[in-house]
Amino acid sequence: MKALLKYGGLLLALGASACVDVEDQPSKVHDFRVLGISLEKPELMAPTCERTPEALDVLAAEVTYRALLVDPAGEGRPIHYTLWACADTEDSRCSDEANRVMLAEGTATAGELSLAIRPGAATVGEDSLLLERVQETDPYKGLGGIRMPLVLHAVAGDEEVYAQKLMVFWCPVVEGMTENVQPVIPGVLLDDAPWAEDALPELSGKGPFVVTSEDVSALEETYVVPGLRLDAVTLTEAWEISWHATFGEFSPQVTGGADLGGQKGKHRTEWEPPEDATEAREVTFWAVVRDGRGGSSWVSRRARWSP
Amino acid sequence: MSPNVKARSALAAASLLLAAPALAQAPQAGTDTAQPEAAAPAQAQPTITKPPELVQQVEAQYPPDALAQGLTASVRLIITIAEDGTVSDVQPTEPVGNGFDEAAIAAVRQFRFSPAEVDGVPAPVQVEYVYHFTLNAPPPAEGAEVEEPEAPKATLTGQLISRGSRSRVAGATVRCGDDPEAPEAVSDAEGRFTLQVPPGECAVRVVASGYQLYQTKEQLKPNETTEVNFYLAPSGGALETVVRSERPKKEVVRRTITRQEAQKTPGTFGDPIRVIQALPGVARAPFTSGELLVRGSNPGQTATMMDGVRIPILFHLLGGPSVVNAEFIDQLDFYPGGYGSQYGRAVGGIVEVGTRKGAADTLHGSVKVDVMDAGFFLESPITDGISVAAAARRSYIDTLLPAFLPKDEGSTLSIVPRYWDYQLRVDFGAKRGASSEEEAQAQAGGARSSGYVMAFGSDDQLRVVSSGPKTERDIDLNTHTNFHRLKGDWTYRKGALTSVFTPYVGLDNSSFEFGTARQDGRQYSVGAREVLGMELSSMLSLRTGLDLVYEYESYDVEFPAPEDFEYVSFPGAESVGEMVKERISLDSFDGALFLEADVKVGKFTFTPGVRGNLHLVGDTQNVALDPRLWVRYAATARTSLKGSLGLYSQAPETFRYVIAPYGTPDLVYQRAFQSSLGVEHRFTDVLDVDVTGFFNRRFKNVVEPGQIVQRESGGFYQERYSNDGIGRAYGIELMVKKNRASAQDKWSGWLSYTLSRALDGRAGPRPERNGGFGGGFSDEDAPTYGLSIWDQTHILTLVGSYVLGNGWELGGRFRYTTGRPTTPLNHTYDLYESDRNGYRPTYGSLYSSRTDGFHQLDVRVDKSWQFQSWTLTAYLDVQNLYNASNAEFVFNDYRYRTEYEIPGIPLLPVVGVKGSF
Repeated sequence: MKALLKYGGLLLALGASACVDVEDQPSKVHDFRVLGISLEKPELMAPTCERTPEALDVLAAEVTYRALLVDPAGEGRPIHYTLWACADTEDSRCSDEANRVMLAEGTATAGELSLAIRPGAATVGEDSLLLERVQETDPYKGLGGIRMPLVLHAVAGDEEVYAQKLMVFWCPVVEGMTENVQPVIPGVLLDDAPWAEDALPELSGKGPFVVTSEDVSALEETYVVPGLRLDAVTLTEAWEISWHATFGEFSPQVTGGADLGGQKGKHRTEWEPPEDATEAREVTFWAVVRDGRGGSSWVSRRARWSP
Repeated sequence: MSPNVKARSALAAASLLLAAPALAQAPQAGTDTAQPEAAAPAQAQPTITKPPELVQQVEAQYPPDALAQGLTASVRLIITIAEDGTVSDVQPTEPVGNGFDEAAIAAVRQFRFSPAEVDGVPAPVQVEYVYHFTLNAPPPAEGAEVEEPEAPKATLTGQLISRGSRSRVAGATVRCGDDPEAPEAVSDAEGRFTLQVPPGECAVRVVASGYQLYQTKEQLKPNETTEVNFYLAPSGGALETVVRSERPKKEVVRRTITRQEAQKTPGTFGDPIRVIQALPGVARAPFTSGELLVRGSNPGQTATMMDGVRIPILFHLLGGPSVVNAEFIDQLDFYPGGYGSQYGRAVGGIVEVGTRKGAADTLHGSVKVDVMDAGFFLESPITDGISVAAAARRSYIDTLLPAFLPKDEGSTLSIVPRYWDYQLRVDFGAKRGASSEEEAQAQAGGARSSGYVMAFGSDDQLRVVSSGPKTERDIDLNTHTNFHRLKGDWTYRKGALTSVFTPYVGLDNSSFEFGTARQDGRQYSVGAREVLGMELSSMLSLRTGLDLVYEYESYDVEFPAPEDFEYVSFPGAESVGEMVKERISLDSFDGALFLEADVKVGKFTFTPGVRGNLHLVGDTQNVALDPRLWVRYAATARTSLKGSLGLYSQAPETFRYVIAPYGTPDLVYQRAFQSSLGVEHRFTDVLDVDVTGFFNRRFKNVVEPGQIVQRESGGFYQERYSNDGIGRAYGIELMVKKNRASAQDKWSGWLSYTLSRALDGRAGPRPERNGGFGGGFSDEDAPTYGLSIWDQTHILTLVGSYVLGNGWELGGRFRYTTGRPTTPLNHTYDLYESDRNGYRPTYGSLYSSRTDGFHQLDVRVDKSWQFQSWTLTAYLDVQNLYNASNAEFVFNDYRYRTEYEIPGIPLLPVVGVKGSF
């Protein structure tokens, strides 16, 4: 009942906030942002939970770090970046110098930033593995996996973003644990028609235009994690897709996921151009998928809209 | 003109008036025998256990000029009788002039009464008194006596009924014409009268206190009986209730809301609990929420009880109308702090809802309809000494809502909210004609029992279904909660001993279905309270008793394994866990033994008390001892200084003790220290002022979540709750209240102002995680203790009501409060968390900013039409008349760059209709 009261209050507040018109929305990409970060592999799983050379080798493997940088108003300006790994997930900027390691730095432009990194091999202090510092800092001591924060500090002009992504290191704590598979959107439909990556469909009028993802339910993994009582807990992914566009707005802006009753949302959204728009233009769309356990990827589409 | 002058007066059957402190019956008139002021049917507590009796009467001087002119008059007076029986004040209700007022007041000031008692304690009371100045007929000339043959007589008999409400009018005088020597009859308790007069035309005049003069003509035939019903028009509105007597204030601060105020305070939709928010010491709750935030305490820390039994759920549908039907209440007592040892289970304030006793005269009732629900109230005597009152209400928004929901092809949306509640009370042991408690006891053989049985309950259902190919998410939510309480009240009085025993049983059900998640809960409770009062001497009285509650709760739950309870969560899209099924049951006992005494030493009254509390849940055993002390110094008859200090305890709710990680089985009593110091002064009989300062400190309060703990057997859990909560509040409260002096007094209202500061937070370290169901902190760097989110430096409320006449009444409420504390944003860069696709805020100092001050004017207009035997009332209640844009909360854009204010309720008119008989 108390939980009900709490959620009731939350609903009331949400309902009230719905009455306020907020101009800046997540799906409206108009300035410099990081829309998503992906690691390939999304997690590294050691063959054993003992500290063996083989296990450390697996955890120290190279992974590909990808960040989706968008800067529609930047006109190709340089984006300076630094990538840090640190020990505390609450350290949003990796500001603790004693417990951080710089993995990369440089300059890029808007688009996909791709870096090869080995965070599992990073050391701090007198040759201590950063992984161990992460585990020490974790109140659950790694029972939910060792989650190393990777923080990208990106600066474009006077806009500055710290973007954190958790790199997950596992070992088979309980039986049945398997390595996470990167979630991938199988395809996108525009008004129920396939929308290919290289296509430029014509959209006309005020819409709304229905955008959906092809069915992902078969791709959502059922997996096992250690429970807080050290038992095995079986979970099923409920992917979320966030939708973004350089023009207009999506509603809803995030699809999928599951509520507390386990009911999954559908990946169906509607895109509408601004009500006062009068000029035809090309619009870029992104859909970023997250599997809720560290896996993420994205797709991009284009269309030409006219009033 | 005959020089024989007779100035007659009489004190009415004062017991009728005085025995009903809040419950004036239909007003009555005085003639030969003075009649007391009205007393409406109402509650039994507190009771005037001993009415005042006139022990010294002084005859008034007939004004010479009036005498010379042969004028007569009746002067109606309100007499305030002090605790010692002396007359402390006399005010005419309607001056009649010609020197009659002055003569009557001068005489009455010299009257002396036996002290009245309320609940066995001497108390000041008010009575209405009518002083009649009449002229005797000249004596017959000497030797002129002749035997007259017996003349034929006509009989006029009938009943006097209050127009619009059908209340019987007792104590009214019925006579033919204006001749002071004409025969007259006084109506009895049933309003019946029989008058024998010479046949012919009778110019009937009916005089009754609180009613307009009634005049009509009847043709009476010799030796025949004419039976009539006269409908008297109340002078202050058919439903006017005049509260004359007053309970002695034992507590440092007790604020009382009458039924009239509860129903007609603008902006509250006639909701009695929401009216409490207009009193000092209560912070304004957001939107139209009725949450009681008393002297810096948090929601849930103020206990609301109906005749001593805690109401488990105060509002329908989480924040809708309160489950307390305003028709069923007699009055509300609000104790913001410093209350006596009889009360416990709260570290904030106490709200005591006094229910309404069924009418003793005849069947009455009302039907009310507004935009949300419709309900009825009925009250009636059943047989001698037994009466019943019943009320019920049901919403019908479930039938109206579909018309307003969006209809979209390809999707189905159904929202079905539904609620109902009921109250039933059967009283027995009424005094059956006795004019005083002593007389009643004498009739009953030296001791008397009275009491009642009451049942109340509430039921809420909400079903939300959203589905279809066009919907983003299929939703199927079904909740159903209800509770029922059955309580008894047995009051036994014998001499100086009073015993009140109130047992109760309760049943609570709750079910919740959302997707695959399901929870069914059931709670059985049984409790009892025994209060034994003994007046050992005029200087010492004792009260002691027990207050026991036993609860058994069981839950049958089935839900997907929740993160941070069963496994460590990962930021972002929550996976769907395997189903967890649990059957949990636990029981608890919370008992208290209390003792307090009133010790009078001169002008001081000391009330030391102590309450010992014992709480048993599973293997947990908690003990708390709460010593308390009040001191009252009666500086003058009109001015008192008062102070209090003490400890207060509140056991956490039983469900919080379920096994970890879903509960915390080793919680202890929540505690508070409360103190206050104040002064109250009665400027006039209708104008009171009270200024009270307070300092409260709360500790060991329950907060959520607790710390992450490593299990001995391996693994972890996060304590669901902890007793780390602390808080502090201090301030000063002002209450200026103007009551109606009489039915003719048009103004009433109050001014309430609070200047305060409230702090809240937790002791000990911050938990490393925020727990599974939220709570905790949004800003990791914020201090764990600081300004309370409910802090409002200034809280001003003005409530006024004006009787325009002709059935019209206008009321207004204006509120101003300091804006809600907010934590300002301090954005210089974005902090993006890719896994949960969200941003993290960068805040300034905790609650270092505020929203703009809140101000709002609410207005209510009532119009009554009185018909022969019923009254129709329509009302328009307009919230936020000038449509002020008040910020209730602040939220941010998704990147925490800009703050937006969530506006409160805009201009909102609500209409309703009520018929009563």
